[in-house]
Formats: sequence, structure tokens, C-alpha cells
Amino acid sequence: MKNINNDMKDNKAKGRKVIGCFPLYPPLELFHSLGLVPVTLWGLKDSIPTTGKSDRHLQPYACSVARHLTEFLLSENGAALDGLFMYNACDTLRNLPEIINCGLADTGRSLPIFKIHLPMAPREQTESRAYLRARIKMLINELEEAYQVTFSIEKFRQSVSLYREMRKLCKALETLVANGRMSYNEFSRIIRDGWFVPAEDQLLALQKILQDRPLSKREHVPSAVQSRIVVSGILPPPLHMIQAFENAGLTFVGNDIASQNRALFYTPAMVDDPADYYVDFYNHHYPCTTLLYTADRRVAAIRELILSTRAQGVVFIGEKFCEFEYFEIPHLEKILKDMGVPTLFLEVSIDDNDYSEAYVTRIETFAELIGSANQGGRYAE
Amino acid sequence: MPNEDKLKAGHKKTEAGKRLSKMMINDYMRLHQKAGEGAFVVWIAIVVPAELFSGFENVVYGVPESHAAMSAGKGVGPLQCEKAERLGYSMDLCSYARIDLGTAFDGGKDSPTFGLPKPHLLISDNNNCSLLVKWFDVYHRTWDVPHFILDIPFCYEQQTARDLNYISSQYRDLIRTIETLSGQKFNIDRVREALEHTKGALTNWKRFLKTAASRPAGLTVFDSFVQMAPFLTSRGTKALAEHYRLLADETEENVAKGIFPVPNEKYRLLWDNIAPWHQLNKMSSRLAALNANLIAASYTYCMGSLEGEFDLYPYDGGDPLTYLARIQNFSICPHGLELRYQAMQRAIETLGIDGVIFASNRSCKVYSLMQMDMLKRVTERLGIPSVMIDVDHADIRKYSEESVFTRIEALLEVIDAKRGAQTPR
Ligand code: SF4
Ligand code: SF4
Repeated sequence: MKNINNDMKDNKAKGRKVIGCFPLYPPLELFHSLGLVPVTLWGLKDSIPTTGKSDRHLQPYACSVARHLTEFLLSENGAALDGLFMYNACDTLRNLPEIINCGLADTGRSLPIFKIHLPMAPREQTESRAYLRARIKMLINELEEAYQVTFSIEKFRQSVSLYREMRKLCKALETLVANGRMSYNEFSRIIRDGWFVPAEDQLLALQKILQDRPLSKREHVPSAVQSRIVVSGILPPPLHMIQAFENAGLTFVGNDIASQNRALFYTPAMVDDPADYYVDFYNHHYPCTTLLYTADRRVAAIRELILSTRAQGVVFIGEKFCEFEYFEIPHLEKILKDMGVPTLFLEVSIDDNDYSEAYVTRIETFAELIGSANQGGRYAE
Repeated sequence: MPNEDKLKAGHKKTEAGKRLSKMMINDYMRLHQKAGEGAFVVWIAIVVPAELFSGFENVVYGVPESHAAMSAGKGVGPLQCEKAERLGYSMDLCSYARIDLGTAFDGGKDSPTFGLPKPHLLISDNNNCSLLVKWFDVYHRTWDVPHFILDIPFCYEQQTARDLNYISSQYRDLIRTIETLSGQKFNIDRVREALEHTKGALTNWKRFLKTAASRPAGLTVFDSFVQMAPFLTSRGTKALAEHYRLLADETEENVAKGIFPVPNEKYRLLWDNIAPWHQLNKMSSRLAALNANLIAASYTYCMGSLEGEFDLYPYDGGDPLTYLARIQNFSICPHGLELRYQAMQRAIETLGIDGVIFASNRSCKVYSLMQMDMLKRVTERLGIPSVMIDVDHADIRKYSEESVFTRIEALLEVIDAKRGAQTPR
């Protein structure tokens, strides 16, 4: 795994203005078009050995994502940032900006924090487009003022193209994983590393990988690999857990991970106004537990993912203390059961660093279950 | 061990307490009865402005959070939580939600009120927490009941005009939705009338809370915890305004007569978090035995105030939707740290608080995740000794009385030490 601390230092050394973003679906193209380097502050665990600083501000029942994020920002890495951006997601994150401010103040630092409220009411119920448009316009003004930059629609268009291409290539890698040509570990590492470098660098890295392992046209059709599973959750499983899945002969053919497919799925068509672009972006976003208005679309999206990838089982990776995910899992499990799709739920907490016999056994049992279902026939559609 | 003689002090049943019990029983009986007679039933988050429903001829509302609090207070919290856990709902989820899911999916069995009548519409509100939206979504999917989500921007600072307009436009959407689903017509004048009652109720609520300023205080916070209940189930009614008037009168009269819940009050404390519903009697008695009185709580002094404020923000007779949108953020959870601190500072100074108990509540992250910094700030900036204890507001399985009291006693020692240091030699 690449050391993101080095990426952060590199960004700084090159004089880039870096804006840390959380949670997962920030307006990246907008920041990029203003000459900023947006880094999405997710998947930080591997770069953070302890949470000593965070523990002075957050109780242990905050999820690991929030604790690692806080630790990162209060540590030396945080000093490489020139600003922070956040929108309202879960109950844990909404308190963080001020907590982070307190932590920074303790060390004599401060950071501009840009916040927007993303409307969360269902679109068919509440007309929130004007509200969101106004918030995006305000954000642009604030960024222009803070960084002495000027928004240009031309640059924004270029940034949109760049991110569209980058997302397309990430999806191509997903296909390699589904066809057994790339391990899910490698995929997760590549995607995670991409969050911390300028989009141009990420694009180059992706192009290089796909040059070495080009996709054939045939590969867009679900392949015939056996023991096919969909993985769902906020973060991908830890590397040692992925290893256990792959050792058990399971292939990750479908992806419902927030920091992966949910974040990469959709890029709107280009329009003349960035506010309209983001209204479209958030309205048509891949359903996610953290975007409340997408809840009714989620079941259909998972069902579609299973059918299109011909997956034989679904693995839920529960981030301990993530209420958003935990309220939906029992319902999804029931629906999948009715479809005849086996499910496995594994909880991951901040302390799960190592290989554990207990989950290996559960993964192996699950793999056997899927193997026998392979012989027995298909699920109800 | 606490002195047994003193255990009788603390939270006692007053006339207002007896009236409250009757009122709550009536509220739930009326709800079931009207639902049985065909009223349009909505389930709401506690912060949904219930005065809106008075604008309809025949809309009644149930409040799952309030019902869960009552269940916890009556000792059935863990039983209902376990039912939800058996259905796959994690023990880490908010205990209100687990109590409610356990109750609802078991047809109201073991509930002190036979549960709530099934809703025709669910109305959640993400300004206290977003979790509640996910919780109501469970019913929306399971029972195929429509779910209306009020989307309220979080307050890091005072509400802006843009947010106010956004909120009031959603109220209009909600009214249209109820009109369509129930076939009933909305009458804004009835809401105006309800708001006048709310104004009366909240004026007297603040008068009641103010009796905490006397020395000894005229109330314990446990009185205010239980007396909050009808604000959630009878909001906007004449009965509530009258009840709070009598409550304030009775408490003021007691102060005038020298009747105090903790007569030998030595420590005046403030509570930060939701009430520990399963501990009201025990905790108040044990504190009283230590001559300690919890006289205020951020949970109760926020009622009727704007974000960051301590005083009443009354209805001015103007547009009801504008007022309701402005007061939408009255509860503490939608406030950022700066605003919470401002209000707490006012409470500490106005009421002469000696120490603050921050109840870290793993069920309620919105309330709790910032308390470590609040504690530091209150201690360092205001010089008020403070302590952090672990309490789950509705799941007694996550509570340890002994470790909590060890910490509270340590707090009282720090207060003593501070006083000792301040006494001129
Ligand atoms: S994992 Fe869940 S609780 Fe944690 S930050 Fe993400 S959405 Fe919030
Ligand atoms: S998380 Fe907190 S605010 Fe939300 S329902 Fe539970 S107790 Fe209430």
C-alpha cells in the first residue's frame, strides 16, 4: 500500500493548494477547476498507526472512519492541507468541523472549513434544486475569496472531462476484478491511492495499468468465473479479509462500496452552470445509505447489481457504529433471502487489524454454501 | 453508601406530577380511540412542529421517541430492545429506535400504552438526527407507508433567512401531502390558535425552570425531564398551556413556602444529555443523599429557545409557518458546539451552577460527540468543574450505577476543593 503521507508531502512540496474533503461525494471537479487539489479523506487507516490525538476529542463509539479522519487532520499530515470541505452526511460527521477546529486550536493551527448543506429530502417530495444551486454558488464565492482564484466555466468543463475519464477507467478496473484478472485487493489499493493525488496523476496511473492489462470487448459481459459475490458497505473490507475471500475461491463481481462504486458510478452530462451540474450529480447519484433521498432506490440498485453480475451471494461489510448502514442491512438481507441469494455479514471495527480465524471460518462456510448453490441452480429473479 | 434517611428527598410526586400522569394516559387513550374511529394517523419525530396538525379536522399524531422514553421509564426498555436485536438490529443503534422497532414489530406487546396505532404517514426530521430518518424508513418499507422527510440544515451558527425559507417551504409541502392523503382541508387559523397555546405553555415552562435559580433550587432536573413529556404529545393545546401554568404556580408557591426538593442543597449541578429514563428515581434520590441537586439540563432548557439562546422566543402572532421554521431548531441536537456553549454558559451564570455532568451517551452520537471539547471548554474557560459519565438514556444494560456515582462523587470533591481554595484564610 502506498504511503499517503508521502503523497501529502509531495503535494505540499510542489506548492499545490490542497483541500481535504469529507465525506465521500464532494464536488471534486469544482475544486480541481479552481486550481485546488481535492483529496478525499477516506481509507486512512493504513497510514495511521494510533488514534491518540483523536481520542482526546471523540469517544470510542465514533466509527473508525471519523476517528481516523480526526487523527489524520490533527497530525502532521493535516498540516499539509490548505482547507477542508464537508457536507452533511451522518450524525457523527456533522459535529466534526468544530471538533477539528478545537483540536487544531490546541496545536496553534487553524484551517478554513467550507461547509454546504446537501438537501436530503426526496426529490419528488421537496423541490430543493434552487436551494442546492444557491449553496453551490455560495461555495464558489467563498473559495474564490479564500484562495484568490476565479471560477472559469472553460476550466470547469476540462475538469469534468478529466474526472469522467478517470471514473470510466476505474470502472474498467472493476471489470478486471470481476473477470478474475485483478485481485480485489489491488483494485482497492489503486482506488484508495487515487484519492490522495491530483486527478491528472491518477488518470495516468490508471491508463498505465490498463495498457498493461487491456480489456477486451467481451469482458464487459459477465464472465463465467465461479463463486461470484457482491460486496456492500462503506469501506472495502480490510486487506487481510479480502485475502480470506479470495483464498476461499470467491470473486468480487459486483461492488456496492461507498468509497468505490457508489462514488464512481455517475458523472453528469456537461452543462453551462456548475450549480446545475451538481444538482444533477447529487440527484442521480448511485444510491447510498448516507444520501437519505436515495433510500427508495437502493433495493432496486442492489437487485440490479446482483442480476447484472449474476452474483451468487452478497457480503455486507458493517462498519461498527455506522447507523446508516446498520438500519438497512436487516431489510436487505430479508429481500435477498426471498430472492434466494445467500448473504454474509461481517463487522469491522477500529481494532480489527489482524487475520482472525473466526471470520475465515465464516467466509469458508459461505464459500461452500455458494459452491453448493452453484450446483443447485439459480435464485428467484 | 448513601444515608438511607436522606433517600426520601429528591424527585417527589407533586400535584403537577399527578396531573401529568393523568394527562399522559389521556393523550395515549385519545390517540388510540381517535385512530380507531378513523382519524388520519401520523408518526412524527419529536421536533416536527405538531401545531401543524391542529390545522386539520381529524389528524392525530404518535411520537415514537416519546413512547420509547416512557417504555424505558417503565422498565421495559431492554425487553423491547432485545426484540429488535433478534430481528437483526444492532445493539449499537440508538436505544429509542430499538425500543420502538421491538414494540412495533411485536404489535405493541409489553408497551405501557399498547404501542402506537399504525400510521398512515411517517414524518421524520433530520435536524435532531439523521438516524431517525433511517429508523422511520424501516416502517416505510415494511408496511409500505409513505414517509415525508423534513430536511433541516444543521446550525453551526444562527439560522439564516435562506434556511428559514427552505424549511417553511417544506412545511407547505407537508401540508399539501397530508391534504392529499387524508382528504382533509388545512386551516391556518387553527394553527395560529395552537401557537397561542404553545406560547402560553412555553412561557410557563420557562417560569417553572426559573425556579431553579432560587437557593435551594425549587426543582430538580428530574421534575423537568418528566414534565417535558406532554410538550411532545399535547403540543399546541389549551390543556398543555394550563398544565404548565399550574406547574409553574405550584413550584413557585413551594419556593415561597420554603419547600425544596433538596433542602440541604450544597451542590448545584447541570446535566448535559438526554434524561437517563431508567434511573430517574434512583439517581435523584442518591444525589439528594449527597446534598447534590441537578437543577438544569441542556435537554430541557432548550425548549422554547432559539439556537444558542437561553430565553424564550415567543410566537408573535405573525405567520405561523415562519415562526415554526424559526423555532424549528429549538432542541439541542441540531446546534454546533459554539451555540451549545453559548447557551450553557448562560445557564451556568444565570442559575449559579457549581458543576456539570456530561453524560456520554453511546446511543445518541449527535448529542454526545463534542462533549469532550465542551467539557474542556467549560472547565477551562468558565472554571466550572465537570465530569464525563457513561449513560445510555434508554438501555439500562449499558449503564453502571457504581462507576457513575464514583465519578459524580469525585466531581463533588473537586467542587469542595475549589471552594476550599477560594475561601479566604
Ligand atoms: S462510516 Fe457511517 S458513521 Fe462513519 S462517517 Fe461514514 S456514514 Fe458516518
Ligand atoms: S440518536 Fe439521539 S436524537 Fe436521534 S433518536 Fe436517538 S436519542 Fe434521539
